[in-house]
Amino acid sequence: MRIGVIKAYFKKELLDIYRSKLILMVYIMPSMLLILFGYGIKTEVTHTRTLIIDNDQSKVSYDLVSTFEHSKYFNSDVKNLSENRALNLIKQDKKDLIIIIPEAFEKHLLKGLKTSVGVYIDGSFPSRAKTIENYVNGVIYDAIMKRSGSEVDRALITINARNLFNQSLRDEDMIVPGVIGLVLLIAPAVLSALLIVKEKENGTIFNFYSSSVKKIEFLAAKILPVLLLHGINIFILFLWAIYLFGVPFRGSFLLYTFSSFIYIIISLSVGLLVSIITSSQIVAYVLTLIVTIIPGFLYSGMLMPISSMEGESVIEAHIYPVMYYTHILYDVFLVGDGLSASKNLLYLLILVGYAIILLGIGSLLLKKRIA
Amino acid sequence: MRAFWAIIRKELLEFLRSYGLLIVVLYSFTLDVYIAGNGINLDARNVSVGIVDYSPGFISNKMLSDLHYPQFQEPVFFASQERLNLAIRNKEIMVGIVFESDFEKRFHTGNNPVLNLLLDSTASAQSYLALNYIQHILMRFQDTLSLAPIEIQIHKLFNPNTSYSYFMALAELLSIITLLAVILTAAVFVKEKENGTWDIMLLMPTDAKAVILAKSLSQVIIVMIGTIVCVGTVLFGIFDLPINGSLAAFMLLTFFYAFTSAGIGLFIASVARNIMQIAQLSVIIMMPLIFLSGAWTPVYAMHPILEYLSIISPLRYYIQGSESIFFRGTALIDLWEYFAGVIVLGGVMFWYGFRKIGKLF
Amino acid sequence: MNRLQVRKVSVTYRKKTGLKPVNLEATGGEIIGLIGADGAGKSSLMHAIAGAKSFDGEIEFDNHIYRSPKEAEKIKGSIGFMPQGLGLILYEHLGVNEHLDFFADIRGIKQDSAFRAYRERLLHMAGLSDFTERQAGRLSGGMMQKLALICTLLHRPKLLLLDEPTTGVDPLSRMELWDILDDIIAKEKTLCIVSTAYMAEATQMDRVLLFEDGEIIDKGKAGELVEKVRPFSYEAAPEPFENSITIHGYTYSLKPLELKSKEPTLDAVFFINFLKKYGPIPEISIVHKDRDEDVPATIMEAKGLTKRFGKFVANDYIDMELNRGEILGLLGANGAGKTTFIKMLLGLLPIDEGELFLLGKRIESPDDRQMLKAKIGYVSQHFALYKGMSVRENLRYFANMHHIESRRALDLIKEHANTLGFYTYLDALPTDLPLGINQRFSVAAAIMHEPVVLFLDEPTSGVDVVARAIFWEMLQRLKKEWNIAILVTTHYMGEAEFCDRVVLLRDGKKIADDTVKNLYQIHPDAHNFEDIFLDYYNLN
Repeated sequence: MRIGVIKAYFKKELLDIYRSKLILMVYIMPSMLLILFGYGIKTEVTHTRTLIIDNDQSKVSYDLVSTFEHSKYFNSDVKNLSENRALNLIKQDKKDLIIIIPEAFEKHLLKGLKTSVGVYIDGSFPSRAKTIENYVNGVIYDAIMKRSGSEVDRALITINARNLFNQSLRDEDMIVPGVIGLVLLIAPAVLSALLIVKEKENGTIFNFYSSSVKKIEFLAAKILPVLLLHGINIFILFLWAIYLFGVPFRGSFLLYTFSSFIYIIISLSVGLLVSIITSSQIVAYVLTLIVTIIPGFLYSGMLMPISSMEGESVIEAHIYPVMYYTHILYDVFLVGDGLSASKNLLYLLILVGYAIILLGIGSLLLKKRIA
Repeated sequence: MRAFWAIIRKELLEFLRSYGLLIVVLYSFTLDVYIAGNGINLDARNVSVGIVDYSPGFISNKMLSDLHYPQFQEPVFFASQERLNLAIRNKEIMVGIVFESDFEKRFHTGNNPVLNLLLDSTASAQSYLALNYIQHILMRFQDTLSLAPIEIQIHKLFNPNTSYSYFMALAELLSIITLLAVILTAAVFVKEKENGTWDIMLLMPTDAKAVILAKSLSQVIIVMIGTIVCVGTVLFGIFDLPINGSLAAFMLLTFFYAFTSAGIGLFIASVARNIMQIAQLSVIIMMPLIFLSGAWTPVYAMHPILEYLSIISPLRYYIQGSESIFFRGTALIDLWEYFAGVIVLGGVMFWYGFRKIGKLF
Repeated sequence: MNRLQVRKVSVTYRKKTGLKPVNLEATGGEIIGLIGADGAGKSSLMHAIAGAKSFDGEIEFDNHIYRSPKEAEKIKGSIGFMPQGLGLILYEHLGVNEHLDFFADIRGIKQDSAFRAYRERLLHMAGLSDFTERQAGRLSGGMMQKLALICTLLHRPKLLLLDEPTTGVDPLSRMELWDILDDIIAKEKTLCIVSTAYMAEATQMDRVLLFEDGEIIDKGKAGELVEKVRPFSYEAAPEPFENSITIHGYTYSLKPLELKSKEPTLDAVFFINFLKKYGPIPEISIVHKDRDEDVPATIMEAKGLTKRFGKFVANDYIDMELNRGEILGLLGANGAGKTTFIKMLLGLLPIDEGELFLLGKRIESPDDRQMLKAKIGYVSQHFALYKGMSVRENLRYFANMHHIESRRALDLIKEHANTLGFYTYLDALPTDLPLGINQRFSVAAAIMHEPVVLFLDEPTSGVDVVARAIFWEMLQRLKKEWNIAILVTTHYMGEAEFCDRVVLLRDGKKIADDTVKNLYQIHPDAHNFEDIFLDYYNLN
C-alpha cells in the first residue's frame, strides 16, 4: 500500500464532498434523524382525550373521576351523554377514551357486590390503545385499592417493581441509543455506495482501472473519508443524546467510540457491496436505503426486544449486525457493565468479525475492470 | 388537449421502460408494506421471564401457570437472584420475578405479601406492558379469591384484537404514497434536465401549464395505481384489513393528497439539478412533515408550538382521514375536515410548486 | 524497446461482440490512428490494451505478456489511457492544480525539480498556466480535454492510448492538443494509439487501422489506404450513376466510369467501403410540404445581442441575420459563445441586452415566443431523445406536442422514416442505435411540424464520415425543397464549406460574417477552411 496514493484520493474525496455540498447530507441527515426520531417516537401516551360519563354521581365515583382529572395521561371531560352519542365522538376522532361509571356504583362497592365499569377505547392506533388500556386499569385499580378496607388491603399482594437501567421509563433513554444504531447504519452505507458509484457513472473510475493503483489502495481511499466524516458523527450524536435528550451515560466512552468505529466499517462495507452491483447513483441510493432502513428498525431492539422475537426473525436478527451494536449501545448508555460482561465482549468480537468479513467480500468482489 | 395526453402517455411509457424504477416502486407498494405490516409489533409479546422462587408453593405455581403464550415465554428458573440479574443484563431475560422465602407465609397470614419484579426497561414500552400483564394476572388471581369486587369491561373499538398488522401496513402505505409522489414527480422534471431534453421540452408549442400539469398527473396516476394494487393485494388480500368506511372516499382523499405531494415534488424539481439532490432534499423536507403529521405521536400530545405547526402538515389530515375511513368508519359528512385540510393545504403547496417550476419555463 | 504486440485479441460484452480477434504490432515513437464508425471496435481494443476490460488473446508490451486486466497490472505504470468523452476522467469539483497533484500522487511520481519543470511545461503547452485554480466543471470543452491529456502524460507513459481525444473540440484546441502530443512523442519515444473522427488528423499519423464491425478491415499509412481507393474516385458526376456515390464534389464507383479521376482523401476510403458493403447510399429525400406560408425573407435578426454571466461576457453585442433558404454556419472555439447565442435565440436564456426579431416580429416577452415555437425546429447537442421510448413512440410524442392530428402524424412518421432512411429502426430504442441514425431521426423529430427555421447545435459531433455526409445531404435538400433557414454549429471545419454563409465567434464577439467564397478570397493562402479559422484565431 502506498500512502501517497491513498492520501491523494483521500484529499480529492474530501474536496469533492465539500464542494459538491454532499457534506450537508453527511452532517445534517444523521442529526436530523436522531432529533426527529428522538422527539417523534413516543410510547408514552399523554393527554388522552377522555370522556367520563358518571351515572352514579356519588362520592366514590367523584373520587374516581378526579383521579382521572389529575392524571397527566388523561384530558378528562365529564358529561352526561347517551352511550351512542359518546361512541360517535370516538368515530369522529374527537375522543380516544370513554369511561362509563354505572349507576349504583358506590352502593355495590360498599356492599361488596360485583360492579363493572365500561371502558371504550379507540383501537385505530393499536399500541396507543394498549397503553391507554393499561393506564385505565392501573388508575381504576389503584383508586379501588386506596379505598378498600384495611382488612382486605393487607391480604393483597403488592408489587415491588424495579425498572432496571431506566428507572423512570423515559422514552428517550430507550429510543435514542437505538436511533444512533440506525443512523450509523444508514448514513455511512449511503455515502460509501455513492462515492464509488459516482465514479462509475461519471467515468472517472477509469483513473483507477487504467493506473497501477491497487484495489486495496482504492478501497482504503474510499473507506477512510467515510470513516473520518462519520467518525465525527459518533461524537455529535453522543452530544445530542446526552445534552439534548438527557440520556444517561453509564458505560465506557472508549468502548462506545471503538465499537462505533467498527460499526461504521461494517455499514460502509454494506454500501461497498451495493456499489459493486449497481451502476447508477439513484439506484444505489434507493437500494442502500432499502437494505438498511427496514432491517435497521426491526433488529435494533428499539421497537421490539430481540428476546421477544419468534421463528425466523430471531435468525435474521442474529444475521444482521445491527443487533450486536445496539446491545453494546444500550450497555454503554444505560447499563454500564462494559467489557466485564462477557456478552458485550463477545458481541464486540462478532462486530470485528463482521467488519473483516464484509470488507473482505467487498474487496474480493470489486473488479478492477469494466463489467 | 392532444399534447396533454401525449405527455401523460409518454411519462407512463418511460416509467414502464425504466425497469429499475418500476421494480423499486412495485416493491414499495407490495413487499415493503407487507414487511412493515408483518414485522413490526410494538406489543409486549413473547416476553422472556426469569423466575427465582425462594418459596415454592401453591401461590407461585398458580401465578406462573398464568404466564403463558402469546404474552410470555416459558419461564426460566434461576437458582439465585445474581444469576437472574446477569441474564437480564445480557438481555436474555426481560422480566424477572422473585418470590422471597416468606412470600407464601405472608400471603396466607395476610401480612403484606410483596412480589418483587425486575424489569429490563431499556425497552420501556414493553416492560411497562409486561408489568401491566402481571398486575392483571395478579388481580384476576385475587379476584378468584373474591378480594377485588370490580370488573373493568374494556371494549377496544374498530380493532378489537389489537392487530398491529392493520395499523402498520396502512401507516407504511401512507408513507410510501407520500415519498413516491414527491420523488417521482421531482424526478420526471429533473430527468429531463439530466438527459438534456429539458430544452426540447421548453421549445414545444405547448402551454407550460399544460406540460407541468400533465407531468404531475402522470405521476399521480402511477401512485394511484400503486395504491390500488397495494390496497387490493396486501391490505385486503394478505392482512384482511377490514374497512369500516368508504373505499371511494379513501381513493378520493388519496388523489387530492397525491397532488399535494406532487406540489412538493415540483418545488424540489425547481431547485434540484440532479437526482442526487432530489434524494437529499426530499429527505430534508419530508422528515419534518412526517414528524408533524401525528404519525408517530398524536398531535394533541405534542408540544403546543409543534401542535400549532402541525396544522400546516397536509399529511396530518391525510393520515387522520385515512385512519378514520379504514378503522373508525367515520361518516362521510364528518370527513369534511380532512378533505378540507388536504385540499386547502394541497392547493397552496401545489400552486407554490407549480409557480416555482413555472418560472423555469 | 517499447514494443507492443497484440495477438488475436477479441472482446465481448454481455450480449454482443465488441472486437473480433485482431493482431497489431507497433514500436515506440509511432503514432497509430484508429478510424471507423462508432461501435466498430476501436474503444474495445483500447480498453483491452489498457487492461481495463477482460479480453481473449494475448498482449505483449515492453517484454511483458498479459492475458487479463490482472496480468496487466504490472505494466499499467507505463500506460496512459484517456477514455472517450469530454473531460471524462476529470473531477468536476477539482481545480487544475489539484488534478495534477492528484494524478501525480496516484501514479506515485516523485515530485522533484525535474518533475516540477515538466509539469510547468505541460501546463504551459496546454495554455492552462493562468487557470490553475479553476475547477474542471467550469472549463470549456477544449480546456478540459487538454487538462485530461496532460494528466494522462504526467507519469511519462511509454504507451499512450487516447480514445477520440479531439471529438467535440475546436480546431485551435485540437491543434494545441496535437502540439503537446507531437512534442512528447518526439522527446519520450512514446508509442501512441489514437482514435479519431477527423480524417485530417489520421492523415498525419504513421499508420492507421480502419475498423468496421469489430474487425480491422484495412491498415497502413494513410497514403497507402488512399492509394487503394484512387481508382474508384472521380470528379463529381453531373448526373448520378448507377451503383455509385456522388458526394462533396466526388463520385465514387467500383466500376470504371467515363469521368475524370480526382485525387481522393481518406474520406474516400469510407465511401468505397460503404459501397462495397451496402452499395450506394440510399437516396435521401424530404417529405413534400404543401403549404408555403407567407414568411418574411429575413427569418431572424439580432441586434447587439448580449449575455453576461456575472462578470463574464458570453455574448458581446452580436449582430446577426438569418435568411430564408440559407444555411448559416456558426463557428468558434469551445466557450466562444455559440451555444449561448442559440439559447438566446430560442428563448432558453434571457437576453440581457439587445434586440431580437424573429419572423419580422420583435421578441419582448415569453408570450411573443409562444406562437413562434410552432415555426422553429431545434436539434440539441446530444440528440436529446427519450431513451425509454422507441423511435416511433418518440416521433409520435413530438407530433402530438405539435398538435398534429394522429392519422396525419402516422403518415408523416412513415414518410420521414422512409425518406431519411431509418424505417427499419422505427421500433428500436434510441440507445440501441448508432449515432448516425439517432442524428437523422432527431432531425425528423425537429421538422415534423414543418418549421421555417431549424437550429442545430453540433449535430455531427462523434458521427462517422459517411453518416455525416448523408446528414449534410439531408440539410441541403431540406433547404432547397422547403426553402427554410438553417443555423448550424460544428467543429468540423470541412463542414463550414457546405454552408452558404459563416459567422465566426471569438470570446463572445463576432469576428467574421461572410460567405465561404468571400472568406477564401480574403485569405488566399488558406488550403482549407481550418486555415481560415486559425487565421482569425491567431490574428492578434
